[in-house]
Amino acid sequence: MKPRVAMGVGSVLLIALALVLPAMLGALWLNRVAQFMTYGILGVAMAIAWGYAGILNLGQGLYFGIGAYMLAMSLKLAAPGSLEGGTPMPIPDFMLWNAAPGAPQDLCCITSGSFLWIPFQREWFGVLMGVVVPAVVALGIGYTMFRARVSGVYVAIITLALALLARLVLIDAQPVTNGFNGLTSLSFFSIGGITFDPYQPRTYYLVVGVLALSLVLAQWLVSSRAGLILQAIRDDENRTRYLGYNVASYQVFFFVVSAVLAGTAGMLYVVTAQFASPTFLDVAFSLSMVVWAAVGGRNSVVGACLGAIGLSVLSSAASETPALLNAWQLVLGAIFIGAVLFLPRGLAGVFNDLLRRHAAPDTSRAASAPLAASGARATIPGQ
Amino acid sequence: MAEIIFIGLSLASILLLVALGLAITYGAMGVINMAHGELVMLGAYTAVLAIRYLDVPFVLCMPLAFLVSGTIGYATERLLVRHLYGRLIDTLLATWGLSYILIQLVRVDFGLAFLGINVPGLGPGLQNVPIPAYLTRPILIGGFHFQTYRSFIILVALLLLLLTWWLIFRTSYGMQLRAVSANRNTAACCGVNDRRVNAWTFAYGSGLAGVAGVLLSGLQTVDPDMGTHLVIDGFLVVVVGGVGSILGAIASSAVLGEINGLVALWWNDTVARAAVFALVIAIIIVRPRGLFALRGR
Repeated sequence: MKPRVAMGVGSVLLIALALVLPAMLGALWLNRVAQFMTYGILGVAMAIAWGYAGILNLGQGLYFGIGAYMLAMSLKLAAPGSLEGGTPMPIPDFMLWNAAPGAPQDLCCITSGSFLWIPFQREWFGVLMGVVVPAVVALGIGYTMFRARVSGVYVAIITLALALLARLVLIDAQPVTNGFNGLTSLSFFSIGGITFDPYQPRTYYLVVGVLALSLVLAQWLVSSRAGLILQAIRDDENRTRYLGYNVASYQVFFFVVSAVLAGTAGMLYVVTAQFASPTFLDVAFSLSMVVWAAVGGRNSVVGACLGAIGLSVLSSAASETPALLNAWQLVLGAIFIGAVLFLPRGLAGVFNDLLRRHAAPDTSRAASAPLAASGARATIPGQ
Repeated sequence: MAEIIFIGLSLASILLLVALGLAITYGAMGVINMAHGELVMLGAYTAVLAIRYLDVPFVLCMPLAFLVSGTIGYATERLLVRHLYGRLIDTLLATWGLSYILIQLVRVDFGLAFLGINVPGLGPGLQNVPIPAYLTRPILIGGFHFQTYRSFIILVALLLLLLTWWLIFRTSYGMQLRAVSANRNTAACCGVNDRRVNAWTFAYGSGLAGVAGVLLSGLQTVDPDMGTHLVIDGFLVVVVGGVGSILGAIASSAVLGEINGLVALWWNDTVARAAVFALVIAIIIVRPRGLFALRGR
């Protein structure tokens, strides 16, 4: 089978599987798979930043968390629980509990900083901010970092420290964010009169749609001219700079794209899982995103995405049985070490190599030359 | 005020012991060991188990933990890190996988939990290490209360710092280590067995982490997750100080430890940690190579 045909067959199979899944799974697992697909979007974001730009973002959870909180604030205000306080405008229940005695029952000033919630009464504002705030934060930090020519491990440290910093601030700002407890008992997400019940196939298809869209977008971006320059920067930053390209602006742009994808994933996670919590900003979560991308294949958008979904499904299935729960953590650590030692390009790299090996006998030398070239870039063309 | 600075200094000492091991392995070998915090944790568990089952005196737990963590470090270098030289980010990822395994091994009593055996002192719960009475009495010198245990921590840290300095700058092993970190290939050409130097350096850094674990076990409860945030703190210290610079590690652990202590006093612990993170970000952006970067590498 020729690689291109194999890729085509593979993609058709995957799309078909994604479409028929609601018929095969119960509501509970369908919801869970939808959550994992939002992780798939995170995998795509990791592949862009790490695989293609060489920017190891160890704080990707920050952007996921921001996206999640922005939408969760809107959904919290829309929840019936926020109107039960007998106040003219919706007020989150935890604010009522936290308010000082005699504080005005108004979002403007019930707790210090509660005025930040006022615009979130409109759901579209929450959705908009879920994209805009990650983009602005990433733009600020990316611009500062890449203009100062910070690279490699230092980028990893800064992004990690930033996520930890944000997590502490989030927990400390208890009157506005409900601290450790996060935002729970949210309403269903609804837009344009359509309500998305997390346990209905409709929500699942929403996530699948956005996932497919981000895959297409990511694949298009990395194979565009800008994407090629980005890979040149990853391979040799100084040489690209000497060739006259503005290295920092390419890095900032793709850093922002990655952050926006992560923010979108965060929003969809809130739609499916119905909570937002400071654990999204934990180091462990950000590191597991790196694991997904490493195991799936950081240099492949599709590989990283499938790695995220696959590992999450395995984790979830293993934690169903208590006996496996403890062993699974050990296995996960071993899988990870194994992937780094033996599969530096992840499963996508193995897949590429296999395709090339099987393609070799029945293609002529002339036909295999461009194949080898595309293999060297270690990408899966098309999705 | 002086007492606050003193408490900050004792925190900085533990931070220094954690960071010193990281500084050596990162600076000299180009390896980021994310499992370093778990070596601290294993050091603490060594103290828990040795005191519980073998009745080892607290002070002797330190050399014991040095051996235990050092041996694990040696094995790590031989089995895992050795295959990853020159791939900095990959060392970070692989050792993170290892830290996952080490934490889980302690949680499941090194696998005995699967057989239904639970070892008191291991497992997911919290453990305490009793400190001998002669280390808990406060001493009064010149109207100033010295907490004995904290002074003890500072003393041990200073001694180990001295030992490390002596090893690196006054022994033939240290000269080989400095040669390898300056230029691995040239050193190897001159007859330095760089693989052996790597393995012993990694073991030594890990041993220091074990001692830090014993010291820490006297200040806080011991649990399988205690190392996770330590490696991040230690790593921030190394990066701020300047990779490969021991002087930098000393200075930055003192600065970060004291800032943490002071802001925690004026405001609260959360803001203190946030202030440290913000400071670290600012320093890296202004001086990406750290405060005391080695030149000519």
